[in-house]
Amino acid sequence: MNPVIPAPVPIPLPAPAWLVQLLLVFTFILHLVPMNLLVGGAVILSISSYLGRRHTHHRELARRATRAMPPVVAFTITLGVAPLLFLQLLYGQLFYTSSVLMAWSWLAIVLMVMLAYYGIYWFTMQQEELGPRAFWVILLTALLLLYVMKTFVENISLMQQPQDFYARFLAGAVGNYLGSNSPLVFARLTHFFLAALAVAGLGLAILARSWKAEAPELAVWAHRYGLRWFQAGTGLQFLVGLWFLFSLPAEIRGIFLGGDRLATALLVVAVVLAVLAMAAARKSLAASSVAILGTVSLMAVIRHLVRIAYLRPYFDPHTLPVEGQWTVFAIFAVLLVAGIATVGWMLFHFFHPARAV
Amino acid sequence: MNYPVWEPPMLGGGLVIGIIAILHVFVSHFAVGGGLFLPITERKAYREKNAALLDYVKSHSKFFVLVVLVFGAVSGVGIWWSIGLVNPEATATLIHVFVWGWAIEWVFFIVEIAAAFIYYYGWDRLDPKTHLMVGWIYFASAWLSLFVINGILAFMLTPGRWIESPSFWTAFFNPSMLPSCVVRTAVSVALAGVYGLVTASTLRDIALRTEVVRYAAKWVLVGTLIIPLAGVWYISTLPPMAREISMGAAPAVTIFAGLSIFFSALVVTFTYFGPYQHPRYFNLTFAFVIAVLALSTTGVTEWVREAVRKPYIIYNYMYANTLRVADLSRVRQQGVLESARFVRHHQVDPLKPLESGREVFRVQCASCHTVDGYNSIRFAVKGWSSDMIEYQLLHLNELKGFMPPFVGTDAERQALRDWLLSLNPQPAPREPGSPGVQAETPAASPGASKP
Ligand code: HEC
Repeated sequence: MNPVIPAPVPIPLPAPAWLVQLLLVFTFILHLVPMNLLVGGAVILSISSYLGRRHTHHRELARRATRAMPPVVAFTITLGVAPLLFLQLLYGQLFYTSSVLMAWSWLAIVLMVMLAYYGIYWFTMQQEELGPRAFWVILLTALLLLYVMKTFVENISLMQQPQDFYARFLAGAVGNYLGSNSPLVFARLTHFFLAALAVAGLGLAILARSWKAEAPELAVWAHRYGLRWFQAGTGLQFLVGLWFLFSLPAEIRGIFLGGDRLATALLVVAVVLAVLAMAAARKSLAASSVAILGTVSLMAVIRHLVRIAYLRPYFDPHTLPVEGQWTVFAIFAVLLVAGIATVGWMLFHFFHPARAV
Repeated sequence: MNYPVWEPPMLGGGLVIGIIAILHVFVSHFAVGGGLFLPITERKAYREKNAALLDYVKSHSKFFVLVVLVFGAVSGVGIWWSIGLVNPEATATLIHVFVWGWAIEWVFFIVEIAAAFIYYYGWDRLDPKTHLMVGWIYFASAWLSLFVINGILAFMLTPGRWIESPSFWTAFFNPSMLPSCVVRTAVSVALAGVYGLVTASTLRDIALRTEVVRYAAKWVLVGTLIIPLAGVWYISTLPPMAREISMGAAPAVTIFAGLSIFFSALVVTFTYFGPYQHPRYFNLTFAFVIAVLALSTTGVTEWVREAVRKPYIIYNYMYANTLRVADLSRVRQQGVLESARFVRHHQVDPLKPLESGREVFRVQCASCHTVDGYNSIRFAVKGWSSDMIEYQLLHLNELKGFMPPFVGTDAERQALRDWLLSLNPQPAPREPGSPGVQAETPAASPGASKP
């Protein structure tokens, strides 16, 4: 039976498909950085908040590191908007269908994110007052975020398998689908989760350096502690990554195992960069960060290649008619540069307040 | 017709969007107006060398961050989530027309968020001039994002020339975009005052409280003075049918439009005689009364704005049930079950006609009706005979201007009719028509509807 897939909107794409794909992947990378810091950070903070009942270092770490979290949540959300926008433009007919099929759990994300956000603020602003209860606040926050992550993985996975739409539709009331809970989804989720822990660990190591003046001993300890998360997370990834790779359908896995030269090369480079990032971590945080950012970016590209491979039998966005809205696009590009410059200007003043009168 | 239809029980999709949207509108306009309130009040404090006032601005900015950055931002995302679930076809259409507009709004959104954080964390780090500048940057980007999103919202009600000559520009600079932008800006100013009243009412220092309460009250009054003027301009740009719906053609909508005026009049009266005239006696309870009245105004007004757009989701282009006007005759011929993708049967199932009727309802009516909850269809057809329902279905759009015409084959219409009939126990007198054995269009309209 032919898969039942909604027809794309009968309005031409306002930009060629390659450009939208480029923006989709690029803005997704922008989203990944704070998202990893947020999810991994919430987990690491939960652990420190618990251990902090006995260990002063952990207590201090939780107190200080959480101050960085409110902007991290804000930018996870803000930077997440753009990739979702471009995703809906290119793959709307797939994405909306999978979302509608799991409407309740998908809509619940909004509430969960809101609660998690307030959870972060609560933990940050009132850790002292909350006492031992602070642990429960941050733990619950971390669990909410994991729910969000799991639901995203489920939706994006379902969206890539349109051949399942109609069966899902027949299986129960529209909106009640809770996800496949398949091994593939869990492999993918674990892969993301470990990445989050690793990136957040690296983030902690970087953050800890700014504590040197006020709390030198803590700074050294937290730096090392963060790096341990980074190395453990990245190291385990070699196993989990393989697990993920081998839970992909054979024809898709194949393109990364020599079937497609570009895809195979990208994967190899991404892995090599991760090894380098681990090796460099103790010597140079900067080098390590650049390398791991490279891995993350390549992984985002690879993820897109996986999507293309999944969808090949059903849909190729390059077949859509295009009528470029170039003037508006140019305005967007100019404003994006101006916006980044403005944020840069503000950040400069924020971090160089010496000029204050 | 393209997507599976999600039917949230009791609420219906429309109300799910509505609830999120009303809360979001109430907060997001504050995000804009409050963005003006903060730097202007900060500047006032510097000019008057009023340290107490400056402290107030600081504490107000914390409240602002907690309300706006979290609730405002997340509920805004929530609207997007909900429209994609309830009306994917329209959402996809809007994204195709406006994607670069949204991308531009996203840039403003980023600047806005960054500025809010730097403003809030920068009180003790930045010199006053830079800090103030960050406040202005916040306001500029917040207002600009309102400007963009307002154009898209206005487009849905008045797509204007876009229908004949589709382009981003005809869509964005649509007939009601400008007046609607002025109304929203005025609402933002008024709401900035309302939130200002809430935080000001908790100040301990009586002299300061009196001063700030009166000052915030002025914001409310100035904002609410502009709203009716711009409102008249806005209404004059609406499609005639939308105006009629709000002014008598649909009683419920007229009542809500009246309530909107009534609540805003109350806001003005309470603010004028309360905090403006007697700032000394103002307290938190009073502030909450005004805030609740303002929220009610927002709620009923947004509801009316949504209601007058019916039967369309994008005026003259797409009906609320996602049927494009251009597809009308095709679907009419093909049949609605045949055109829809996510249905169990593409033809009326002769063995289970009621199930098919239910399916026609889901695809064609469930965007506005629930079975038992909001705008309940069971209630709507209570006591109706088979002929009466048949007649209504044949004239859905004529009897009620805010409904799209029924489209589908005769068999589908009859299946829907029988399902509607089965919703309520039938009174004895007349035999309900059984499938296949019914009179065609009844000559006289039973229980003639309102003109
Ligand atoms: C665009 C939204 C919309 C769609 C789509 C829609 N309706 Fe309605 N319908 C309404 C509204 C609004 C009312 C008025 C409710 C009120 O007056 O309180 C209404 C009222 C009704 C009534 C009661 C009329 C009366 O005279 O009291 C019936 C019956 C009805 N609808 C049937 C249907 C059927 C059947 C469909 C699908 C073929 C449908 N509607 C599709 C919006 C819609």
